[in-house]
Amino acid sequence: MAQAPDRSTGALDYLVVRKIYGNKAPQSGSDETGDKMAQATGDGPKSNGILGPVPVLIPLAIFIWSLSFIGPVSNGEVVRLSYDWVPSLGISLSFLIDGLSLTFTLLISGIGALVMLYSNTYLAGHPQYGRFMLYLTSFMLAMLGLVLADNLISLFVFWELTTITSYLLIGFDNESAKSRRSALQALLLTGAGALALLAGLIILGVAAGTFEISEILAKGDEIRAHALYLPILILVLAGAFTKSAQFPFHFWLPNAMAAPTPVSAFLHSATMVKAGVYLMARLHPALSGTDVWMWTLTIFGAVTAVFASVLAFRQTDLKQVLAYTTLMALGTLTLFLAFDSGYAITAFTTFLITHSLYKAALFLMVGCIDHGTGTREADILGGLGRIMPFTAAAAALAALSMAGIPPFIGFIAKELMYAGAVEAATSPVFVASMALAANALMFAVAGIVAFKPFWRPGQPTPVEPHEAPWPMLAGPIILAVLGLIVGIAPGLIQGTLVTPTVAALLGSADEAKELKLWAGVNLPLFLSLGTFAIGFVLYVFHQPLRRTLAAIDARAPNFDRGWDRVLDGLKALAEFQTRLIQSGVLRRYIFITFATLFAAIGTTLYLRTDLPDLEGIEVLAPKQWAVVALIIAGTISVVLTRSRITAIAALGVVGIAVALIFIMYGAPDVAITQLLVETLVVVLVAIAMLSLPFLDKPGRHDHRPLDAVLALGVGTVTTITMLLVLQQPIDLRLTEYFEQTSWPEAFGRNIVNVILVDFRALDTFGEIAVVVVAALSAYALLRTTAKEAQ
Amino acid sequence: MSWYLSLPLAIPFITAIFAFFARKSVYGKWISVIGSGASLLASAALMYVVLQEGVIAGQMGNWPAPFGITLVADLLSAVMVVITAITGFAVAIYCMGEITERMEYLGYHALFQVLLAGVTGAFLTGDLFNLYVWFEVMLISSFGLLILGGRKEQIDGGIKYVTLNLISTILFLSGIGLIYGMTGTLNLADLSLAVERVENQGLLTVVAVMFMIAFGVKAALFPLFFWLPAAYHTPAFSVSAVFAGLLTKVGVYALIRMFTLVFDHDVQFTHTLLLWVAAFTMIVGVLGAAAQSDFRKILSFHIVSQIGYMIMGLALSTKFALVGAVFYLVHHIIVKANLFLIAGVANRIAGSTELSRIGGLYKSAPLLGILFLIPAFSLAGFPPLSGFWAKYILVAAAIEIEAWVIAGIALLVGLLTIYSMTKIWGQAFWPAHPDGIEPKLSHMPKFQRWCYLLPIAGLATLTIIIGLFPEPFVTFAERAADQLLDPTEYVTTVLGERAP
Amino acid sequence: MEILLSISVGVLVAAAVYLMLARNVLRFIFGLILISNAANLVIFTSGRLTLGAPPLIEEGALLPPEGVANALPQALVLTAIVIGFGLFAFALILVYRAYTTLGTLYSDDMRVAEPRSEDAG
Repeated sequence: MAQAPDRSTGALDYLVVRKIYGNKAPQSGSDETGDKMAQATGDGPKSNGILGPVPVLIPLAIFIWSLSFIGPVSNGEVVRLSYDWVPSLGISLSFLIDGLSLTFTLLISGIGALVMLYSNTYLAGHPQYGRFMLYLTSFMLAMLGLVLADNLISLFVFWELTTITSYLLIGFDNESAKSRRSALQALLLTGAGALALLAGLIILGVAAGTFEISEILAKGDEIRAHALYLPILILVLAGAFTKSAQFPFHFWLPNAMAAPTPVSAFLHSATMVKAGVYLMARLHPALSGTDVWMWTLTIFGAVTAVFASVLAFRQTDLKQVLAYTTLMALGTLTLFLAFDSGYAITAFTTFLITHSLYKAALFLMVGCIDHGTGTREADILGGLGRIMPFTAAAAALAALSMAGIPPFIGFIAKELMYAGAVEAATSPVFVASMALAANALMFAVAGIVAFKPFWRPGQPTPVEPHEAPWPMLAGPIILAVLGLIVGIAPGLIQGTLVTPTVAALLGSADEAKELKLWAGVNLPLFLSLGTFAIGFVLYVFHQPLRRTLAAIDARAPNFDRGWDRVLDGLKALAEFQTRLIQSGVLRRYIFITFATLFAAIGTTLYLRTDLPDLEGIEVLAPKQWAVVALIIAGTISVVLTRSRITAIAALGVVGIAVALIFIMYGAPDVAITQLLVETLVVVLVAIAMLSLPFLDKPGRHDHRPLDAVLALGVGTVTTITMLLVLQQPIDLRLTEYFEQTSWPEAFGRNIVNVILVDFRALDTFGEIAVVVVAALSAYALLRTTAKEAQ
Repeated sequence: MSWYLSLPLAIPFITAIFAFFARKSVYGKWISVIGSGASLLASAALMYVVLQEGVIAGQMGNWPAPFGITLVADLLSAVMVVITAITGFAVAIYCMGEITERMEYLGYHALFQVLLAGVTGAFLTGDLFNLYVWFEVMLISSFGLLILGGRKEQIDGGIKYVTLNLISTILFLSGIGLIYGMTGTLNLADLSLAVERVENQGLLTVVAVMFMIAFGVKAALFPLFFWLPAAYHTPAFSVSAVFAGLLTKVGVYALIRMFTLVFDHDVQFTHTLLLWVAAFTMIVGVLGAAAQSDFRKILSFHIVSQIGYMIMGLALSTKFALVGAVFYLVHHIIVKANLFLIAGVANRIAGSTELSRIGGLYKSAPLLGILFLIPAFSLAGFPPLSGFWAKYILVAAAIEIEAWVIAGIALLVGLLTIYSMTKIWGQAFWPAHPDGIEPKLSHMPKFQRWCYLLPIAGLATLTIIIGLFPEPFVTFAERAADQLLDPTEYVTTVLGERAP
Repeated sequence: MEILLSISVGVLVAAAVYLMLARNVLRFIFGLILISNAANLVIFTSGRLTLGAPPLIEEGALLPPEGVANALPQALVLTAIVIGFGLFAFALILVYRAYTTLGTLYSDDMRVAEPRSEDAG
């Protein structure tokens, strides 16, 4: 378990300032941070060789290939591919391309290509670049599989693949304890959700009678009416909420910023965290429309959005700011999925695209700042506009979209949100005010991230600021410009992506609303204007506000620390249990074993049988009494004696008495063997004792009343069981067969011998093997010298 | 038919004899490898025949069942024999890298082969007393292997292992006496018919519980598993690998066999009891693992936990659940043996199995990292690896019959398994080595490196194959489960014309 | 006699359990010897008791005389005695080795494989 050594400083504050190539940077109590990039300057750029460009081509090819589906999908077609995978479990590897999955595919592959291009420079010459690209590409492919899967179980397989790959990516800086902790946190938290999700998907599949998603979606009414609808919903949402970091499972996401910046851009803008949102959207036709769905998503979404916006405001590390705005976006998306009106879902779709574009651009932009200055600290950064003009431009374009300023797509998305909120039949005021609060905070945050570092005065940075090289600029610029283009010409995405996606969720393309910059003077417009006003005020006063928030936050319950407490508790429980059970004390092991035996047999006897019937006790001859008396007397002597000689003698007596029983009841061969073996046993014990100490330590007695009670209990149940067995009739078929064939077929007159060497020769063979191996093992044991034993 | 059944049993014995006489020479280990390879071929042939012809039985000495001893292979037996041979072969290769001349001289390879013979015999026999004999063959050779080397902790672990297993053995023996006293027969197929004729069915349940405890110790069920975590981290790595893969599974096999074939008269009682035991075994085992800080100790407690999953499949006793149990059994042997082998490599290059004293394996030995992640994630139930399907089937089987509690426990334990597996990854692999050394695979001599890595890679490949192409394995497990649920074919094949 | 033998077996088992729970592992060995005898008696008695008459076929006869003892349990007990002896011998030598290696016969003091947590830390 990765234990952060300096946990007391608060896990969110560690990503502050770093040392890069020897420059002395202010170290505000942090160890190293996530990014360990090999710098492209200094000793001159290092290349990643052939590994550099190739990974870019994979997402690029997928992107171009996906573009070819735009035509059919915008015509309302659905493309489906299916391979049998585990037909006997009803699991196929089937894929579905409709508006929803195509939108995601384009976002994932498009942003993926840009992120990989960026990484090639950002991590140039990193010794583990190959591993990084392997994980990142695997992650992307898993994500694509997730959004394209048309089978619940296939979807889950890809879901878990994203969990594993993101674990490796978040922990990429593997020698940092913080990274390891964050990776584990993400793994366990999303892993826990995934297990709930698996249960939910199985129940859903059982309820619907199929695992094929497209078939399930057609049975929405049936599923909503199903007795198990509620457990399905709770379990599926548990998976979606943890993956998409909804409150109160949000805290892993900011911690996951320990990953290299390109990973953050990719995982936390377009992809991993949106997997939960995707799942809710995918299953929207089957699960939505009930009050539970509506209220659960509304409340979780709204609380997450507002809570995260406030926390975003409180951060000073730009990457952390963005991480919290991502949470806000996820909350908003969840909020709008609560409804099934055309405006809400159109808003959902538009905001999904908008957010992916500007958030990926901003993350990459922060990476450029970090790369160019050596810090991401908002309070330090300033005045970079002239030195990093391209970065500044990209930042401005993306931030304007984020702030929802016309003519950017962010504005359209915001208008649609307000329209969707107003339309929400049951709770328009609540939804609208939530959206308003979140959007206003977004406006202010946009100023903090994209305005202040470039155009306000700052302090000296650890590195002399310089502009990022073009492969790192390509991504943010392209994504930011796209936000402007589709804002000016929303028609570009209306028919191709938005309408088909809305159709996928609501079943009809007619439900989709039009994306337009000017929707007339209406309530959403006023809300927009209100947003700007509040947002501006918040920006102006953001520093004092931040201090206030920090003070409040310090006193509020800290989920991240709560997580540590959960893990510590788990560890304490595990250790307590193990000390209790696996105590290392042999006597306790044996006691529990016999106690289990006693309890299990005793209970079963009590529940399932009557006491044995002791009537008709036969009259026994004195010699029979004598033998039994001998056994009992010998046994008791062994127990009671503290003398080794007496013990050996008593053991011998018991052995002889048992042999006498064998003789008495027609088993002379057994008796002879018994005598022989018993003699050997006694002799061996006697020899061993020559070099062993006394039985008890001087002055100590071996009185153990509790053991005695258990011993008597076990003895009693043994006797009762045996008596009950002996009262059953016995079937002597086997013996009769041996008697009849022993001489005629096996040519032996001693039936016992014939059984041993012929009828059951395999037993005898095994028996010989046991004796030989026992000798071999004993020899090995004796030949080990004390010297070797060290 | 007989040859197919007796060859997988005879080959290890013959190999053991040769290996014993060659114990002072360099050929001993090669004899062991060749013999294990031959066993693998023989078991593959057995599997082929069973797949083609269904259950096969061979009457030893040509004495008809139920009078003589019958060897019998249904699909479950056959797959257990094959998986034993695979494990044996992989570990035999690994042994060439690990086992010292001194241990060879003390008869290591002979003991190893006899152990495999005992395990195979237990899987193939159709006779209860004969099963006892094979248990003893297995037990005594495991005693020898466990203490070979004679280090202090081996002797200490050995004391606990030996004492507790001897108690189980005596219980088993007494149980055989009692069930013979009630039914007059020892042949399993015959027993499955004879138990119906027992007047006192309640008493039969008592004896069933006695067997449950005797086999429960062998299978390391709660609360009878103490011997396992006490001993499995002490012997040579190849020994703990083969123990981890096979020994407890013989107990599980015996439980599955007895509680599908013979003791199915009071399912309401016995299988409910098993279900509770399964739940506790899963939870206690995985929490035990979470408390450990030694590579092998974590793995040892995981065995306990995962035995719980198999017993869960048996306890639910629907067809689907048994499919899960069989699938889990096979998957677990491969994965668990492999993880112990990997622990051996980590110990060899990083110097310890104590997690706080090692590190740096991810950076310096990335190949080992990948080879570890495959079985580790498989064990934790991540798709698309074998463990996912095993867990999926069991959970789906529980959900299917609305056994919510056990399904929930199975999932929760999966999460805790992830947690304890990442303990190893997060301490042995990711952080730097505390002593600053770089544990590289290339530090080993070439021959040793190949001996270590080939079997690990082979078993990891199997894990991936089962994970990516589960269909044939699931279909197989379904057929095996059918045979278990309806033992008619088993009984008629064994008893021939004497069957009803 | 079955009743008496059942009681004897109960006594043997009780004594064996008590001895196996002792601190000194040598007493475990004593218990093992007693409980092995008990198990053998269980098998033997389960085949039911017949006074006299060992299961032998006389010269010239095809079948044994009526009422001979049940041969099968005898064969099983023989096998079990020998196997039990093998296990016992190993266990005894292990105990001896434990004393020479670990320096104690008291199982409470055998804490090498599973050290006390305070020792481990």
